[in-house]
Amino acid sequence: MNRLVKSSYLTAIYSFFYLPIIILIIYSFNDSSYSLLWHGFTLHWYKQLGDDMALAVVTLHSLEVSVLSATCATLIGTLTATCLYCYTFFGKRLLHGLMFVLIVSPDIVMGVSLLILFFLMKMQLGFWSLLFSHITFCIPFVSVTVLSRLTGLDKNIFEAARDLGASDFMSFKRVIIPMLWPAILAGWLLSFTLSLDDVIISFFVTGPDFQILPLYIYSLVRIGLKPELNALCSVMFIITLFIVGIFQLVLRKKEA
Amino acid sequence: MKLYRYKWVVCFLFFLSSLVNAQEKLVNIYNWSNYISSEILRQFTKETGIKVNYATYDSNETMYAKLKANPHSGYDIVVPSTYFVDHMRRQGMLRALDKTKLSNIKNLDPALLNKSYDPGNRYSIPYFWSSTGIVINTRYHALGQVENWTDFWNPKYRNQLLLLNDVHEVFSIALFALGYSPNDTDPEHIRQAYFKLKQLMPNVRLFSDDAVKSLYLDEDLTLGMAWNGDIYQAMQENSAIRFIYPQDGFIVAIDSMAIPVGATHLDNAYRFINFILRPDVAKKISLATGYASPNQAAVKRMPRAVLNNPTIYPDPKTLERSVIQVDVGAAEAIYQKYWELLKVGG
Repeated sequence: MNRLVKSSYLTAIYSFFYLPIIILIIYSFNDSSYSLLWHGFTLHWYKQLGDDMALAVVTLHSLEVSVLSATCATLIGTLTATCLYCYTFFGKRLLHGLMFVLIVSPDIVMGVSLLILFFLMKMQLGFWSLLFSHITFCIPFVSVTVLSRLTGLDKNIFEAARDLGASDFMSFKRVIIPMLWPAILAGWLLSFTLSLDDVIISFFVTGPDFQILPLYIYSLVRIGLKPELNALCSVMFIITLFIVGIFQLVLRKKEA
Repeated sequence: MKLYRYKWVVCFLFFLSSLVNAQEKLVNIYNWSNYISSEILRQFTKETGIKVNYATYDSNETMYAKLKANPHSGYDIVVPSTYFVDHMRRQGMLRALDKTKLSNIKNLDPALLNKSYDPGNRYSIPYFWSSTGIVINTRYHALGQVENWTDFWNPKYRNQLLLLNDVHEVFSIALFALGYSPNDTDPEHIRQAYFKLKQLMPNVRLFSDDAVKSLYLDEDLTLGMAWNGDIYQAMQENSAIRFIYPQDGFIVAIDSMAIPVGATHLDNAYRFINFILRPDVAKKISLATGYASPNQAAVKRMPRAVLNNPTIYPDPKTLERSVIQVDVGAAEAIYQKYWELLKVGG
């Protein structure tokens, strides 16, 4: 009985997660431009996806920003976390708290305040303003992920490293980074996804010369989403599955 | 030492990016989604050497918010609809156009120019135009049953209608039904329209403005209001759908190209507008998207099948019943108040 409840509960949860995605993938093969009924199987939308230069440009823009911002945020975030963990300095608790404030503060607040900042700096909106904003909102997520892993580790290891004559930099490079590897990867992936699908902050800070995928998709909602976008989302989902699979493999090897 | 070197690299990148921005061979366009084909943009770049940055929006409000939040956001051309042109020019957000740079303006249909939302077209040049009318699925309802907006009030359509989720579109039905103008600013008339709409509510199944065409196409709804462009596209896949221009009047919307005051690439913007006004280009855009072109010379070159389809191009006699929306000014607040009351069922 208990077992039945458990498995049906899990099934319910997972179908809630994955059913919409499966439906989206099925509809990417539907032979109709706007109808939501089944009109037969076609690969037409995948072919059109391959030919659509405008969509390709927008998608590349999005990937460019996500990879760059995730990488920068991971670098800065990891350093921040290490700093907060290893050293004691004035205002440390405040800094730690402020990080959480950024995580829970609504996107709209962040978007508007960044817009005002760029406006005051007379900075032209576009690629750079978008990149800086994305790095900014990704950093706290990385630091929190890394910090939680750090606090779970044995502090004596770092002291041992220092006892044995490693400099701060050396112990960071040789001891801390290798042990944090899974958390750093997780932080990178988290930032990458957050940056890739952000609509609200991007709406405010992007400029005319840099359209990104989420904003493009959003602007199509009223006109009717093309099945081409279903095809694109399916492709992206498959790629994500692939990346997550690789990460799992790498991490498992590390743990073993 | 290393850090210092990187600092210079970053500075250099900044410098490069500012160079790219300063380069004038570029035009930034902010338009409705699905309003152009990428082929046209490529053709423009090929002919003029000007690079096009093309971004899209889903509603006038989105575009307005973006421009309002930062007037110098760098867009050189935007495409507001009728009453938004009115609204934006009154707020000083648009630049008066220099018509001497737009030689192809002669191709436009005079019937769609010099309207009250922008007298003399000082700020706006029509891009597409569309009508709001009645959609009927002939498999479920006999043609001729619904010819007027007033027919919506027939009790037999209980819980069947789709209304557009737009305050002015919906109030226009009631105002037409009462014999007033959809641009009426008299509070008493608006109040009457509200009570008229309240009587309509039992017949309303849904307020929607996104993906309306799929709803009609899949026959989830068989009667209601819609924009003709959407219905033209739906008709390609479901032949039972018909678009009707109501006898008691209908709204025509004109989406127009305009130059925001913060535009930086003025000459390129004029060249782009003039390019769009060319008959061959206007024809291509209209055929690719399915929306009606205001370009008379382009319409003349259209295939017969398109021209004879009244869904896109109603005949001049039908057009006599049309009304163009203008900004209702201070009455907007009254409309919004009753709109909210209507939606909450108060």
